[in-house]
Amino acid sequence: MSGPAGNGRPAAVITNGLSKRYGRLLAVDALSLEVPAGVVAGFIGPNGAGKTTTMAMLLGLVDPTAGSGAVLGASLDEPASYLGRVGALIEAPAFWPGLSGLENLRVVATLGGHDASRIPELLELVGLGARGSDRFGRYSFGMKQRLGIAAALLGDPEQLVLDEPTNGLDPAGINEMRQFIRAVADGNRTVLVSSHILSELEQVCDWLIVIDEGSLLYQGPAEAFLGRVPVVLALAPEHLDDLDRLAALVRAGGHEPRQKDDELIVPVEEHDARAVAAALNKAANERGMVLAELHLRRPSLESQYLAAIGAEP
Amino acid sequence: MIASLRAELVKVLRPRVLIVTAVTTAVFAVGSAAIVLLSADPAGARPSDRGVTVASLSEAGGGTEVFTTAVSFAGTFLFVVFVGVVAVEFSRGTFRTMLLYQPRRLRLLAGKMSALLVFTAAVLAAAEALTWVVAKLLAPSQDVATGTWVSASALGDALADYGSVLFWVGGYALLGMTVAVLVRSVPIALAIGIAWAGPFEHLLQDAWNPAQRFFPGLLLEAFVAGGTSEVSASRAFVTATAYIVLGATIAATTFARRDITA
Repeated sequence: MSGPAGNGRPAAVITNGLSKRYGRLLAVDALSLEVPAGVVAGFIGPNGAGKTTTMAMLLGLVDPTAGSGAVLGASLDEPASYLGRVGALIEAPAFWPGLSGLENLRVVATLGGHDASRIPELLELVGLGARGSDRFGRYSFGMKQRLGIAAALLGDPEQLVLDEPTNGLDPAGINEMRQFIRAVADGNRTVLVSSHILSELEQVCDWLIVIDEGSLLYQGPAEAFLGRVPVVLALAPEHLDDLDRLAALVRAGGHEPRQKDDELIVPVEEHDARAVAAALNKAANERGMVLAELHLRRPSLESQYLAAIGAEP
Repeated sequence: MIASLRAELVKVLRPRVLIVTAVTTAVFAVGSAAIVLLSADPAGARPSDRGVTVASLSEAGGGTEVFTTAVSFAGTFLFVVFVGVVAVEFSRGTFRTMLLYQPRRLRLLAGKMSALLVFTAAVLAAAEALTWVVAKLLAPSQDVATGTWVSASALGDALADYGSVLFWVGGYALLGMTVAVLVRSVPIALAIGIAWAGPFEHLLQDAWNPAQRFFPGLLLEAFVAGGTSEVSASRAFVTATAYIVLGATIAATTFARRDITA
């Protein structure tokens, strides 16, 4: 069950036809995934796509209607055999409001048989060192999220499953979380992280899983997903009347432009994008046209994602 | 299960909880001893199933009879407490958190309930001892003789009373857990708990006395009261045990199989 994943590394997570049905709603539809060990895997999809349900099945909280799977080589049928090696934060962080952050971690450490002596160190790691004795009920949502991360790290897990970990964090907190995910992954941990802030995943993930309506749209290296749409040059003449002449000039250079609003979009190869831009700028200038805009647009995860789910970028 | 029990005790054995429990126990002991002694019928037989008389209080088990009499009125309260304690773990999502650390669900539930019952047993023991002390101090003012309260027979009665109360509390705890696991919502579980253990069973009992033979709350009350005119203590024990086992089985099966989505 823990065979090699797409990049030749053993799979930390593998599912075969995993499905979950709630009455008439098919929340997850025959999902077959492979997450290689040691990667930061971004799990993306619109609200209701089935991300949280899939994660809940991987964590033994929800029973699959059909299909099978394994986490760290152990079957999903036996979550007790692998959850001790997995740290997780799923949905909103849920702890006991009357207990302090420290006491909450002590409860879950005791429950999981983890070393409670790491608690102060983990509170420091997530930036709650000075607030560990405050009651959880008085924490902001961002602080609760941080405590959830600390709890997930209690057992020094081989794998982390993080469901929307940047929820409720301010921009500085989001940045810290990004760095944190990178830092924990550098220790050869596998991290499966879902987020609706796609730019965050773009910066930390080297593996992507895209689902929509419970079905898999893409899984593989993040670079390959981002490379599925070409780099484009965006050009706009100073005078709109010159738009047709500029388009003819682009075609004469061997490129096929597409007009979008007041600009032309020209797909190019990334390696000669600068040369093409310079040539077009020079040619337009020679023909008396001034370019008000000329810039390179690399595909973003968001544009790729929107293209993948069939939405207009 | 031991890890689950210990984790639950981490939550319970905090200074704040212990202080509140100690104060509540002290108030209960003083208040209940005073009320039971003041309301004791000075002469004749027992006025009702749960009533006490000066004569009965003057026997060897009189000191702890004060305790069992007083605590038996707290049945609905204890039932509601256990319903709330378990249901709130669902509504807060903390069962989800706990299952990430202890995925063996039956061990988790059994450990949690065991910890709560161990704590409750300790509190009851303290309450019984404290009630006895307060009752002994107040007894002379109500002409209750306490000469036999310190004797081997009294100790036997005290242990028997303690066992009865423990069974009674354990029964309410497991039935409360069953309601909470089935309903999962705190307000709905509390509404059901209060309505069932409070008005429903007792109104039914008022209208139809044999209800004491069939309904779990009434059976537990009958047992802790040492039996009633309608049902003996032993029959109440057996029937209540059957309800408790059935409820625990339903709760365990449901908890083990149901998706945790909240």
